[in-house]
Amino acid sequence: MSKFSTVWVFSDAASRLPELMGAARQLGEDVRVIVQGNEQSAQAFRLGADAAYDLGSIPADRIIEDYADTLVQTIKNHAPNALVLLPATRRCKALAARLGARLTAGVVNDANELVLQDGHIVATHMVYGGLAFGKEQITTPYAVTTLNSGVFEVAQEDSARTGSATSLEFVAPKNPIICVSRKVKQSNSVDLGKARLVVSVGRGIGNQANISIAEALSNAMGAELGCSRPVAENEKWMDRERYVGISGIMIKPELYLALGISGQIQHMVGANGAQIIMAINKDKNAPIFQYADYGLVGDLMKIVPALTEALKR
Amino acid sequence: MKIIACYKLIPEEQDITVNSDGTLNLNKTDAKISQFDLNAIEAACALKQQNSDIHIVAMSSGGEALANPKGRKDVLSRGPDELIVVSEPGLENALPHQTAAILAAAAQKSGFDLILCGDGSADLYAQQVGLLLGEALGVSAINGVSRIISLSDTQIQVERTLEDEVETLTLNLPAVVAVSTDINAPQIPSMKAILGAAKKPVQAWQSADLGLGDVSGYTTLLSVLAPQQKARARVIIEGDGEEQIAEFAEHLRKVIG
Ligand SMILES: Cc1cc2nc3c(=O)[nH]c(=O)nc-3n(C[C@H](O)[C@H](O)[C@H](O)COP(=O)(O)OP(=O)(O)OC[C@H]3O[C@@H](n4cnc5c(N)ncnc54)[C@H](O)[C@@H]3O)c2cc1C
Repeated sequence: MSKFSTVWVFSDAASRLPELMGAARQLGEDVRVIVQGNEQSAQAFRLGADAAYDLGSIPADRIIEDYADTLVQTIKNHAPNALVLLPATRRCKALAARLGARLTAGVVNDANELVLQDGHIVATHMVYGGLAFGKEQITTPYAVTTLNSGVFEVAQEDSARTGSATSLEFVAPKNPIICVSRKVKQSNSVDLGKARLVVSVGRGIGNQANISIAEALSNAMGAELGCSRPVAENEKWMDRERYVGISGIMIKPELYLALGISGQIQHMVGANGAQIIMAINKDKNAPIFQYADYGLVGDLMKIVPALTEALKR
Repeated sequence: MKIIACYKLIPEEQDITVNSDGTLNLNKTDAKISQFDLNAIEAACALKQQNSDIHIVAMSSGGEALANPKGRKDVLSRGPDELIVVSEPGLENALPHQTAAILAAAAQKSGFDLILCGDGSADLYAQQVGLLLGEALGVSAINGVSRIISLSDTQIQVERTLEDEVETLTLNLPAVVAVSTDINAPQIPSMKAILGAAKKPVQAWQSADLGLGDVSGYTTLLSVLAPQQKARARVIIEGDGEEQIAEFAEHLRKVIG
C-alpha cells in the first residue's frame, strides 16, 4: 500500500487548509474534508476533496473540540481505518487527543515529516527542546496527526472542481465545555514568520528602555524585531508573539541578527532556519557563536548604536 | 476538595550530550521535574491559598527515578500535601496513551475533584497526557489554560489562550486542566518548605496495585536523533573597537543586500 485508502482533513484555521490538502492528496487515495459552512466546502472541493462534510455554523457557546463525537461517528461509519490530518494549533491538538481516545488511535502532534512506511504512518517531531527529532510509528488502524506548517506543498486550487457537502448532525458530548466568551487577541499584528530580516533581542539587552537601540538598528535595516523567551515571558519587555524558539515562533528569514542572546537550543531551533545568522554577544564562549555565520564579540550597548550609524552612511 | 497535580521526571537537558551517530547520551543526566509541570503544581498551590479546604496530591508515573527520596522531597517542598507515585522499571519510556492509562487508574483509586497537568513535558512534548487522562476518566479536559478564573464545588472557569484568541470556558467538575507556561511563575521552595517536605505522606504503587494489565502502546518510538547541524561560516570577530564594528557592518551590509 503506497497510500492510505482514506485521509480525513479538518482545519480550524482556514489558512492552513491548502497545505493540509496538499499533504492529504500525497498520502491518501480518498480525501474527505470536514468543513464549516459553504464557503469552506467550495474551497475544499477546489483543493481536491473527494467529499466534504459540513459542521454548519457553530453556536457561540460551543467549542470545536466538542465536535469530537460528531467527527468520530462520521469517520467510523466510512471505513475501519484512516489517517486524520489536522493543523498543529492548540485547538486541533485538543481535538486530536479526543479523536485518538475515541478511535483508539495513536496520536502524534507537531509533525515535521509524515511518511507512509509498510502501511503505517511514521511521524517525525521535535523532542528534548529541539535537541533531537523523534520518529514515531503509529501502529493503530486509525492514525491522528497534527501537522506543522511548511512541511508539505500546498494544494493548488482548481476552479473547475465543485461539489456539495453532506451536512453533519451534531452529536452532543457527554461532558460539554461551555464557552462563556471569546475575544480576539490584540497584539497579533506582527507576523515574524514572513519577515525577510529579523533583529532579535535577548536578556543581554539589560532593560526595557534599551530595546530602543535595537529598534533603531532594525529600522535602519528594514527588519522586524524578535526576542528570546525570557525577554517576553519573564521580563515582559516585548510581546509574547515575538519570541522565537521551540515554544515560541519558528522562523526562516534571510537574516537573523541576535543581540545579547546566549543561544540555548530551545531558542536556536526557532532561528536555525535562517539563511544567515549573525550574533553580537560579549561572551566569546556563548553557544550562539556555534550557530553563527558572522559573530562579533563585544558590548552590544556600544556596538548596536555604532552599527546603526554605519548603516545610515 | 481534592486536587491532583501531575508531573513527570525528565532528564536535565543541560546534561544531555549528542553521540557521534546522532543518538542522545542520557547517562549523565539528573532527573528533574519537567518545567511545565511546575506551573501545574504552582497553580494548585495558588488555588489552595484561596481556599484552605483544598488537599493537593502530587502524582507521577515513571521509572525507578521516582524512588529517589531527594526527588520526592523536591516535589513536596513545592506545596503538595501528599505524593502518589506509580513506578516500575521501564515506565520512564511510556508513551502518552500508556501514561494516561496509568495516571487515570491511580487518580481513580485516590479520588479527585480536579486534575492539573502541564501542557506537555519538556522531553517528548507530546501534549496529550492531560487530555487523554480526561478521556480515560470520562471527564472534561482542556489544554492551553493560561488563567484559572474561579473554582467552586461543581465548576471551574478558566481562560484559555489560543493562537489568535482568548476563550473563557466553564467546565463541570471533575475535570482535567492542562496549563500553559504563562499561567504563573513557579516559586523556588523556601528552606522551611524543604524541611517540611520530608514529613509529608508518600504512597508508592505499581501498576499491579491498580489492577492494570498490560497497557500496550498505540505508537512505537523508532528513533531519537539529533539533526545534522547546518554548516555555518563561523567568522567570529573579537573586540568592539571601531575597526571590528566596521568589519561586522560590512558583512551585515552584504547580507541585507
Ligand atoms: C522547555 C523549554 C522551552 C524553552 N523554549 C524557549 C523558546 O521557545 N525560546 C527561547 O528563547 N527560549 C526558550 N527556552 C529558554 C532557553 O533555554 C534560554 O533560557 C533562553 O533562550 C535564554 O535567553 P537569552 O539568551 O535572552 O538570555 P540569557 O541566557 O540570560 O543570555 C543573555 C546573553 O546576553 C549576553 N550579554 C549580556 N550583556 C551583554 C552586553 N552588554 N553585550 C552583549 N552581550 C551581552 C550574555 O553573554 C548572554 O549570553 C526554553 C526553555 C525550556 C526549558
